[in-house]
Amino acid sequence: MKLSLNWIKDYVAIPDDMDLKKLAYDLTMSTVEVEDVRPLAASFDKLIVGIIQEVLPHPNADKLRICKTDIGNGEIKDIVCGGANLAKGMRVAVACPGAVVRWHGEGEPVVIKNAKLRGVESFGMICASSEIGLADLFPAKEEAEITDLSAFDVPAGTPLADALDLNDIILEIDNKSMTNRPDLWGHYGIAREIAALYHLPLKEIKKFDASGIPAMKVEVQDSERCPRYIGAEIDHLSVKPAPYQMQNRIWKVGMRPINALVDITNYVMLATGQPTHAFDADHIKGNIIVRRAADKEELLLLNEKKLELTPDDLVIADTESPVGLAGVMGGSKDSVLPETNRVILEVANFNAAGIRRTALRYENRTEASARYEKAIDPERCEQALSMAMELFREIYPEMEIKAFSDTYPEKLVQKEIDVPVSWLEHRLGKEFSQETLTNLLGRLGFTVAFDGDNMHVIVPTWRSTGDISIKDDVMEEVARMYGYENFDGEKITTSFTGAINQLEIDLERKIKEYLAFRCGMQEVFTYPWMDDQYIHAVLGSTEGMLAISTPPSPTEKFIRSSLLPNLVKAVSENLRYYSEFSIFEGARVFFDRNYVSDYDETEKLPEQRKHIGGAFTGDYKNINALFRQAKGVLENMSRYTHMEALHFQQEIKPVWADDVVWLNLFRDDVKVGDFALLSKKAALESGIKNNAVLLFEIDIELLKPFTSRTNTFTHLPEYPLMDYDLSMLVEDTVKWEEIKDVILSKKKQGSVLQSVSFVEEYKGKQVPAGKKSVTVRLVIGSLEKTLTSNEIEACAESITKVLRKKLNAELRSK
Amino acid sequence: MKEKLEELLREGKEKILAAGTENALQEVKASLLGKQGSLTEIMKEMPKLDKSERPEIGRIVNEIKNKLTGLVEQKREELVLKASEIPADFDVTVPGTAPSGGGLHPITQMCYDLNDAFRSMGFEIYEEEDITSELYAFDKLNFPPNHPARESMDTYWLEGHDTGATNEKLCLRPHLTGGSVRYMQTHKPPYRFVYPGRVYRNETTDARHERAFFQYEALIVDKNIDFASGKIMLQSVLSKVFGREVPVRMRIGFFPFVEPGFEIDMGCLVCGGKGCSVCKNVGWIEIMPGGTPHPNVLRAAGLNPDEFTGFYVNIGLDRLVMMRYGVDDVRLFHSADLRFLQQFK
Repeated sequence: MKLSLNWIKDYVAIPDDMDLKKLAYDLTMSTVEVEDVRPLAASFDKLIVGIIQEVLPHPNADKLRICKTDIGNGEIKDIVCGGANLAKGMRVAVACPGAVVRWHGEGEPVVIKNAKLRGVESFGMICASSEIGLADLFPAKEEAEITDLSAFDVPAGTPLADALDLNDIILEIDNKSMTNRPDLWGHYGIAREIAALYHLPLKEIKKFDASGIPAMKVEVQDSERCPRYIGAEIDHLSVKPAPYQMQNRIWKVGMRPINALVDITNYVMLATGQPTHAFDADHIKGNIIVRRAADKEELLLLNEKKLELTPDDLVIADTESPVGLAGVMGGSKDSVLPETNRVILEVANFNAAGIRRTALRYENRTEASARYEKAIDPERCEQALSMAMELFREIYPEMEIKAFSDTYPEKLVQKEIDVPVSWLEHRLGKEFSQETLTNLLGRLGFTVAFDGDNMHVIVPTWRSTGDISIKDDVMEEVARMYGYENFDGEKITTSFTGAINQLEIDLERKIKEYLAFRCGMQEVFTYPWMDDQYIHAVLGSTEGMLAISTPPSPTEKFIRSSLLPNLVKAVSENLRYYSEFSIFEGARVFFDRNYVSDYDETEKLPEQRKHIGGAFTGDYKNINALFRQAKGVLENMSRYTHMEALHFQQEIKPVWADDVVWLNLFRDDVKVGDFALLSKKAALESGIKNNAVLLFEIDIELLKPFTSRTNTFTHLPEYPLMDYDLSMLVEDTVKWEEIKDVILSKKKQGSVLQSVSFVEEYKGKQVPAGKKSVTVRLVIGSLEKTLTSNEIEACAESITKVLRKKLNAELRSK
Repeated sequence: MKEKLEELLREGKEKILAAGTENALQEVKASLLGKQGSLTEIMKEMPKLDKSERPEIGRIVNEIKNKLTGLVEQKREELVLKASEIPADFDVTVPGTAPSGGGLHPITQMCYDLNDAFRSMGFEIYEEEDITSELYAFDKLNFPPNHPARESMDTYWLEGHDTGATNEKLCLRPHLTGGSVRYMQTHKPPYRFVYPGRVYRNETTDARHERAFFQYEALIVDKNIDFASGKIMLQSVLSKVFGREVPVRMRIGFFPFVEPGFEIDMGCLVCGGKGCSVCKNVGWIEIMPGGTPHPNVLRAAGLNPDEFTGFYVNIGLDRLVMMRYGVDDVRLFHSADLRFLQQFK
């Protein structure tokens, strides 16, 4: 919302030397967020009023003229101009060199320089309103029309800002910061806050006296939705422009001046925050009725939008049909027309929720509906009425109020709240005298009385519509008026509690840190919704998934039941820049099943699990190394993160997996996840051509953290241990696990074989077809003595023998 | 003879000191003390000497031998300590190989930094699931029934669960605060906990707005907490995270679930509060709402608001990380773009 400082000053005498930065700061700290404080005149720098002395033809151009223009101090300058309405004696806006304008009101701002136009030197430029941002205030009637400022009786050379009353400060308030303050949506409301903050007197608005005016017939059928309706029939009016000052103010705060009748209603709303409306009385058949619309009843709005109404909509109607959508917008039938001379002025109060529903239903939010939605108090109608009547009287001295009525069956009850002072002081951490409290709250319009420890507070009408309703609200008023900055805050003292021990939370962090720092994987975040393309490629179907009613895009409706589609998408997209990398993500996944809640028996939440997923990618040719890298990450995870061990097993092939390279992950007999190569088909459908992608996904809620670190200590060997490498040829169908099992079968009580590990596997030219070479490393040694080479050889011999016998292995070398 | 020996000692000393390498020293040693060395050569002349002179010369020979041997050993030690087997043209300006290039997401880093700071002050970490009901997202937080945030233009409701009673309507949580009610319902006061997580808003995205972003809530509920106490807690947490004093100010703010409510600003770290484009020239950056939990929220959690009060803040993690590193587009956080993510180690 934009506010004019000059306008605010109508209601509160802000000292002229007030530091505006401080004013903005104080309002921001205590009332509403001031986003900007802008001197309006700054955008009119180097623009002055000039008086045309003579209009001469241009020697080289038919459409251009040379204007001998008085720019003050006796200086007459030649200005070349293409305006169609140039005339001797006209006052015009002259942009002197250095001024900023927009050519024909379009494009980027341009700085004016002295220039030659078709061979004639020109001092600056004579402007059209659109070129200097005044199009709404001085609308051009024709093309190539120069703005005629002759109505402003100022000497040549007067700065434009002075001549047009543009020396004002515009405050820009963040609307979000005052959604709970219906009283602030106008200049008077902000003036009231400023008066309270700085102990300044607030100007009262003189009450309108309606005595002696004949009654007007108004029928309010739904007083819950329309708590108050004031109608006044005013005659002997006409459609003419409003006085310049009124237009100027309306324009400065962002609305467009239209004509005096409409401008009065807008001016009153901008001043008081109370919307008002003027109907052309000649078009009202019978009398005003405030009622619910009939089902499918039609209404053509002012903006030519045709509505089919519902019984939840409140309308203003005459005896024939609706004439306006209450609190939102007038109808086209009874709008103010050029020939209008008699109006019905409406100053009404409508129920906030109803207005909001109607405005939303027809996507027709207006300045009026935005204010009604905040719950305006019905007492404010009087203020708006008084101001409107004063303006009518000023602009139309001949006007006559023919009829008047005020339907207000249930007066607003001011909230009364009891606040124990001891409670207030305890919560605020500060002591307050009765005088201080009376003063702080009194300045805001609260009535305060004390009875022992109890402070009895009567809330002003403008804060009584929900804004202030409990003692905590009163506490906030005291705190903000005292100044949030003036509370230092005490150190919080709490009792000593046990050490925090959250194993599951810690495990998740350990896993992430293990993957990132030990395994060199990069953590990524993706959205919970998935693109249909990747769901289809990776998971095949959307079965069991939940979907968003109003998705971010039509192809991103489903939310994830697996982390993999989005991880595959991330792989695919990063392959544009990198060819080998590994990434992981930890996030929750969702299933359309098992609806329960641990917190509330009536609540039904779907199953949501915390997963961690990863992807490794590299050239297909290096699949063996890539596989071992990825598998190593999973194999060692439990060791490094101190949780119960995981093991691999092939039980259920994931839908997205390659036919050969896949494994399931188990903790005991609980399946906790999958690890596999992304199938060629899924990769291609995800736009991945030459890269192998290995994926894993684990349900981390199924993992079991140990309660402490689980390393075990063994004594260092007293006698040397020997590494003994064996290379053998075996059928290429023989698996490592089989070789390992055969070798370990020789590790019996007292045997000198300590352990065996995999070194490498080779297939290729040096190995016969159908065979592979496998190298293993034996660790041989005794705990009792140093072995002789014969004893070592004997152990190795017994192992080669059993390998030959069980696996038909052929020893290559040692 | 004596002169010869003295000459040998002098020359020997010079040669030993001049030796530049271990090998050269070995050669010098051999030339002086070896089988064909100078000293041996002189010794060969011993039989020619008069018998009476022999003991005296023998003593001198031994003395010289010991002196030279001592010098050689001394020199050898010197040379070994200085020695390098590496050619002198070895290029020490060649860059090292980087350790494996993984890392945590910058938001995770910030979250863990805050977790560490809060845990050091005795806070627990709590997590709620992402899908919640209207009951917990709005009702229990004192949002009026017609509050605009409840509408589908603001919140992502789930298909097939977007009508009916508030305990049946499901959405991707629009904020974390509902989770604090869940925590309070299932734990005994006093409370001290933080509560990080991702939240979702149906918004048009741009460089400053996202549909999915991260919040970090902290809540204390106890019997003796005054309304400004939280300022000290916040100041110490932010100062720890940013590694320097961070000024904090609280100003009026309105949120349905707190009363009184604050907007909490931190001093702009880019300009040090002088005003710059990052802070829109005000020197302060709005980073979180906060306040005292509204009595209705405490009631919803089963507490007596006359007995308990508290302090609550909701830190915008994305904004804090943007501030920390000068990131100018919030959408990068969910891009999974390694060119972006690998900048944060």
